[in-house]
Amino acid sequence: MNSERLESLAKRLGTEAAARLNVEATARTIVERLRDEPARRTVWVQQTWLRIAAALVLVLGGTVVASRLSPGRRPGVSTHATHLVADDLNDLSTDELRDVLTAFDEMIGSDSVAVPEGSTDLHELDAQQLRAVLRSLEG
Amino acid sequence: MAQPHMVPAPHDTALIAAWQAGDEQAAAELVRRHARPLARFLAGAGAPDADVDDLVQETFIRAFRSVDRFRGQCQFRTWLLTIGGNVLKDFGRRAARRKVVPLDEAVRDVTGDPHEHAEASEAEALLVAGLKELPRLQREVFLLRAQQGLEYEEIAAALATTPGAARVHYHHAVRRLKEIVKP
Repeated sequence: MNSERLESLAKRLGTEAAARLNVEATARTIVERLRDEPARRTVWVQQTWLRIAAALVLVLGGTVVASRLSPGRRPGVSTHATHLVADDLNDLSTDELRDVLTAFDEMIGSDSVAVPEGSTDLHELDAQQLRAVLRSLEG
Repeated sequence: MAQPHMVPAPHDTALIAAWQAGDEQAAAELVRRHARPLARFLAGAGAPDADVDDLVQETFIRAFRSVDRFRGQCQFRTWLLTIGGNVLKDFGRRAARRKVVPLDEAVRDVTGDPHEHAEASEAEALLVAGLKELPRLQREVFLLRAQQGLEYEEIAAALATTPGAARVHYHHAVRRLKEIVKP
């Protein structure tokens, strides 16, 4: 079948259905429906917003749950202090423990950090000593 | 001799504005102008004959209720036909959920002398079946071009694509239809 024949057939498609359509009755019905069902769009919009809100709740809830369940997250130095109580100090490396203490140091002032006797710098402390300092800060 | 004074028919955009201002007759006039081309488009795209009337109504209702979104990017009729495509898609989904005979598989009116319908109807039925096999965008571009006689620029504006892409879709559709609709 060539293109001309195809296009000719396409032009005839649906002519019977169109001829059967009662245009005046259709116009009347449409106008009546527009008059009688003006609120449906509002309902549709409300439903749509409800669906969007539900989807957002699911996404946000899923994100929160996923972030709580994901193991081994070490977001950064500044967040270490806020995770201090929840995290097990034994999981932290020496450098991470030092970061936490440095962050604490900045937060509460260098004079108040309970550095063990004989030590003058956090870099001189080993992991066990750093843990001891942090536990003392937990109270 | 004085010529009878001919009042030019208002443009679609004027009728749309009148409808937005509350003129129901403007809406009725838009239906009169575009209902048959819409019915042809829907039937060509696979709407069962028995449902064309309802689908035409639904398309107009949806169009009038969202007419604020019509910015004149294409003709009102072209915009209406694309809405018809969406209405038909939703209809197909509902039909599939109800597990009734969907769209093109519906029985067409073949009453009367079979010889009267013979070759042309057979080819037409093959074409409808072939259109069903096409991706929706190809099907709609083909119908807008071949059935409705629209330019690629107009089709592209209605379907939010480029004229070049519309042309490509059309040629893909023709190629596949030629393979499917063999004499």
